[in-house]
Amino acid sequence: MRRRSSLPVTFVVPTLAILLVLSMVPTLYAIVIALQNRELSSAGYSWVWFANFVDLFLDRRFLNAVWVSVKWEIVTVVATMVVAIGLGVLMFEVASPRLRNLYCLLFIIPVLLPRVSAAFVWKFAYHPLYGIATYPYRLLTGGLIFDPLSKPGSALFAVASVDVWQWGLFFAVIVLKLLETLPPQPIEAARLDHARRWQIHAYVTLPMLKAPLISLMFVKMIESLRSFDLIYVMTRGGPGVATETLDMYAFSQGFIESGKVSYASAMAVLMMIATVITFTMLWKRVQA
Amino acid sequence: MRTGRLIGQAVLAVAGFVAVFPLLWTALNSLKNNVDIITRVPRVVFTPTLANISYILGRDSVLTGLYNSVVACGCAVLIGVVLGLPAAYAVARYPNRWAGDIQFFVLSLRFLPPVAVAIPLMVIWLQIGLYDTLPALIVTYSLLTISVIMWLAIPAFQAVPKEIEEAAFVDGYGAYSVFWRIALPVAARSLAGAVAFSFVLVWNEFLIALMLSSSNAKTLPIVASELSQQGMNVPWGILNASVVLLSLPPLLFLGVLSGFLNSVFRQKKT
Repeated sequence: MRRRSSLPVTFVVPTLAILLVLSMVPTLYAIVIALQNRELSSAGYSWVWFANFVDLFLDRRFLNAVWVSVKWEIVTVVATMVVAIGLGVLMFEVASPRLRNLYCLLFIIPVLLPRVSAAFVWKFAYHPLYGIATYPYRLLTGGLIFDPLSKPGSALFAVASVDVWQWGLFFAVIVLKLLETLPPQPIEAARLDHARRWQIHAYVTLPMLKAPLISLMFVKMIESLRSFDLIYVMTRGGPGVATETLDMYAFSQGFIESGKVSYASAMAVLMMIATVITFTMLWKRVQA
Repeated sequence: MRTGRLIGQAVLAVAGFVAVFPLLWTALNSLKNNVDIITRVPRVVFTPTLANISYILGRDSVLTGLYNSVVACGCAVLIGVVLGLPAAYAVARYPNRWAGDIQFFVLSLRFLPPVAVAIPLMVIWLQIGLYDTLPALIVTYSLLTISVIMWLAIPAFQAVPKEIEEAAFVDGYGAYSVFWRIALPVAARSLAGAVAFSFVLVWNEFLIALMLSSSNAKTLPIVASELSQQGMNVPWGILNASVVLLSLPPLLFLGVLSGFLNSVFRQKKT
């Protein structure tokens, strides 16, 4: 039906060309910088090839940042999916249509907030003396101090809770919408077989939604890489290096502490290689 | 069974409360004097003041940040619409053997760690002499908006019934006028959601703006985060007011975006 037209070429080529330039120039340049020894304070530089990368693997703070990033990734992705599936199924089971609409609206609000805002809102809330989230603890213990953000053991989880607050609630809405798209017959059949409610979901509905749920997890894994804003505002990587993820460490090496742009860039290049390889493989598997 | 239902209802109610209460509390604090904020027992009854809000709106840095944010995000979204929508339409309607690769390429831009983009760009803009200017920020953000709008608009165009477009071809419309007069208006609602989403994304962006600006081109999130760095001596009310100001624009799109979510999942059903 559709005749030959110049439309695909005129519409796609300029956009793709611009995207390619905008993405490849910084990417390739990042690699170039990583092989040099540039610093912010001086204009001169020379080629040091792989010296930055060798230094990185001897840098214990870098290895710590890798470990913190991996922990962050696991904690936020798992907690988000658990909250999303739990609340999504709950809404599906017990909420009336009107309530569902209300909850859907409320649950989308946190994810729309700038992460800087979300971080501030919770930084206030977690304040040991005046925070609203620590108030119940003060009330119950008669004024004991609970300071989640300044303890190495709990800081990462306190920051992660903000991430889950934003994404877990939002994904709950999506899980509900996914459940609503399912055909009712299998659920009815399971009910006739006297399956309990949780059994219906564990053995019928959630397995039916396996593919979209995996895609959802994939999206969350990508978004979890963007932890910088939350950590920068809430803890600055502290206490000590307890919440210093890779992007936080790269930023502080490149800009705050020493201005070692090349060193920071080497870190960024390693991150880039790791994420591109991991996600390309995952994506191919999800699609297959 | 009924107690189970009740517990479920209660859990949901708590979740709904947790979703919005911290934000409401921040909004409430922005109307308080400092004495009413720094209390061990949270105060609900207090004499409201507009001092914090007027202080925020009277600061040059905040107004410049607001201006920069609006201009940078507005231009980047506009570029995203102009370049992203036609490309998405072409991929959706004229599939060829590269269509899958193009979609994957657009998605893969999202895998790039922001630091990996920001560091080299900072060096590049410094060398060209555009560091700390709005054009540099707009160009960088365009990468984000074009790819996100394309990614979301491809399924939106695919959802337009093919028959309408075929009928238009039969009526003698050319390929371009079919896009312009048929596909765009029919898909408009979903497309608006995609565009709103890309706006929220760049409005909320922090790391790139932080690295690409030092004084002139600071966006609102940067200005807001700097207010807090003056330590906790800064009146909390002012900080709360700046958080509220920063959060309002994305929340204006709440209706559009939840409508967008609904339309996405309604399509899947059919």
